[in-house]
Amino acid sequence: MDAVLLDQTRAPVAFGRRAVPQLFEQLQRPESDSRRRALASLCDLMHEPERIYQTVNGGFLEQLKGLLKDKDPTVRKQTCELLHLLSGHNIGRQALLSSSLLPPLSELLDDDSSSCRRNVHQVLNRLALLPAGADALLCLVPKLMMKLKEEEEEEEEEVQVLLLSTLSCCSSLDALPALALDAVSLVRHKLSHSSPNVRREAAAAMMALSVPEDGKRRVCEEAVLPVMVGLLQDTDVKVQANAAGVIMYTAITTPGKLQCLDLDVVPILLDLVSKKKEEEEEDNMERRRRMKALIMYSLRALTALAEAPNGRCLLLEQLPLLERRSEAAEEDEDIRRAAQTAVRVITWTP
Amino acid sequence: MSFASYRLRDPGGTYTFSSRPRAVENRSKAPQPQALRNYGNIMYDRRVVRGNTYTQHVLPTTAQANAAESQRQQELRRRNVTRRRDTSRLKTPDALQGRTHIHVQTDLYLEELSDVVMAADNECQTDAFLDKPATPLFIPAKTGKDVATQIEDGELFDFDREVQPVLEVLVGKTMEQSLLEVMEEEELACLRAQQRAFQELRNNELAEVQRLQEQERRRSEEKRRRVAQQREALQKEKETAEKIAARAYTQQYLADLLPAVFSSLTNHGFFYDSVEKDIETNFFPWLMTEVNSRLERRRTARHLLDSIIHDVAQMRVERFDELETQPEKCDE
Repeated sequence: MDAVLLDQTRAPVAFGRRAVPQLFEQLQRPESDSRRRALASLCDLMHEPERIYQTVNGGFLEQLKGLLKDKDPTVRKQTCELLHLLSGHNIGRQALLSSSLLPPLSELLDDDSSSCRRNVHQVLNRLALLPAGADALLCLVPKLMMKLKEEEEEEEEEVQVLLLSTLSCCSSLDALPALALDAVSLVRHKLSHSSPNVRREAAAAMMALSVPEDGKRRVCEEAVLPVMVGLLQDTDVKVQANAAGVIMYTAITTPGKLQCLDLDVVPILLDLVSKKKEEEEEDNMERRRRMKALIMYSLRALTALAEAPNGRCLLLEQLPLLERRSEAAEEDEDIRRAAQTAVRVITWTP
Repeated sequence: MSFASYRLRDPGGTYTFSSRPRAVENRSKAPQPQALRNYGNIMYDRRVVRGNTYTQHVLPTTAQANAAESQRQQELRRRNVTRRRDTSRLKTPDALQGRTHIHVQTDLYLEELSDVVMAADNECQTDAFLDKPATPLFIPAKTGKDVATQIEDGELFDFDREVQPVLEVLVGKTMEQSLLEVMEEEELACLRAQQRAFQELRNNELAEVQRLQEQERRRSEEKRRRVAQQREALQKEKETAEKIAARAYTQQYLADLLPAVFSSLTNHGFFYDSVEKDIETNFFPWLMTEVNSRLERRRTARHLLDSIIHDVAQMRVERFDELETQPEKCDE
């Protein structure tokens, strides 16, 4: 049994159906070294859906609960990585949500080892992508916000990105708990981060937060819009798209409209909408897809702004540009519809 | 022979005999009757001396020839035997025909070991080891033929050919694992992209919905406000109309109020000539009271007069009456 291992970091894997149960039996052993090796082998195996099915149906998840409280930080970190792989598949996610693993996992958020914390954030992020998961994580939102507040400078951007992404997923389901804890000012602080990933996720979180009425009001109060206008001219397309989304939501309310018009946002949006003409010849599906979001949000923002008299005056001058968009030459159905709505709103008379 | 003796294994099964112990059989030169042919139990064998050996009758070596004595001794012995048999004790069986039991004691045959072996002590001690000189190399004489062999490169096994399966397995497993991981990542990326596209559409539509909601709200508010305004305007108009009507009526009513008032007042005597009033209030009562008093005085005077007259008349009457009566007396 203790033959020379080819790879000292991994336990030997049995054949076929026996692999997963045997590795889980090995996890029961008291020596932490063998547990580490077994966990490493399990992480390798868990990329296959059939093994995940076996793990979930064999009821091995309860064992992981004990491992999450292990004394060895490497064991904890690898258990979190295993959970991360499990949550990449739907059965794994469902099993995680229905098992009672979430409380110990949330306790690990305060763990000492930073790599363990990062893995926990990865698990939570993957869980939040599922609506049922976001629902289950809603109770964790206060704790996550506290973590975000604490991690001003010390943590790497990866953890910040994950945290913001989780928060934005939870808030897109229900933004009220986050808003109650003054999330707007917290996220606004992150908008001026140096890394584009953090900015993108912060803008996405802000967009989710500005969906309910309360959020819109807060956004207007806390002077977030000037920052957003700055982000509209960012280099990363996704950041621009998210910023346009925030403006789109905020401009629906009257104070938002007035603020946006004060900030002279209309020319920038028009510029964004029309910029794509040159790039339409580009055959890059990826880029076109990313630009699509930006264009749609900008069009909707313009529509919202056109309901104010000042905005309507400004846009009436630019009407031909938008009409070009709404013609049949535009391939994308959604963009065409959005442009038609904009034109209709602009030319509406009481 | 019974078959039991052929069993080489002990009944307990713990050991085997190569030659199992057997009881000695009764063998005699003359064929014996069947009953005696069985092997004798050692306990009942007359040849074995039984009992204490120090109380047995020991036949001395010189008394062997005396037949009568031996007969007498035999008789004694038989009596002892029968006596002992009555007590059911195991005894040496009687001697067989042609044999006699003889008690023999080896006292006579004892020899004293009196010779002492002369022993001498001798010691020997090895000297300390002396260094042994090196043995000269023993080179045997060369005999036979020399043969040599050498394993050249590539003779034992061909590395390139042998390593192929091992390498295939290693590479295959690595590729399999990495393919799995890449597929998983791709699947997740696809899911994420799909989710993102859906989210964008949803955001779009949500924004549109909210905008329309807001628009609806604004319009309905506007409508409500306008309706309220209109209602207020109507209300005001009605009020003003009423006011105008009321005003016209009052004006008309008040038009001939003034002369009516004046006339009624004058009728009620509110406008009076002060002199006339004064005369009326002050003068006339005085005048009337004066007139009254004058008239009263006159009345009283007349009343007085009347009463005087009445009195006088009464007196005259009385006097006349008196006179009437008197003259009759004083007549003429």
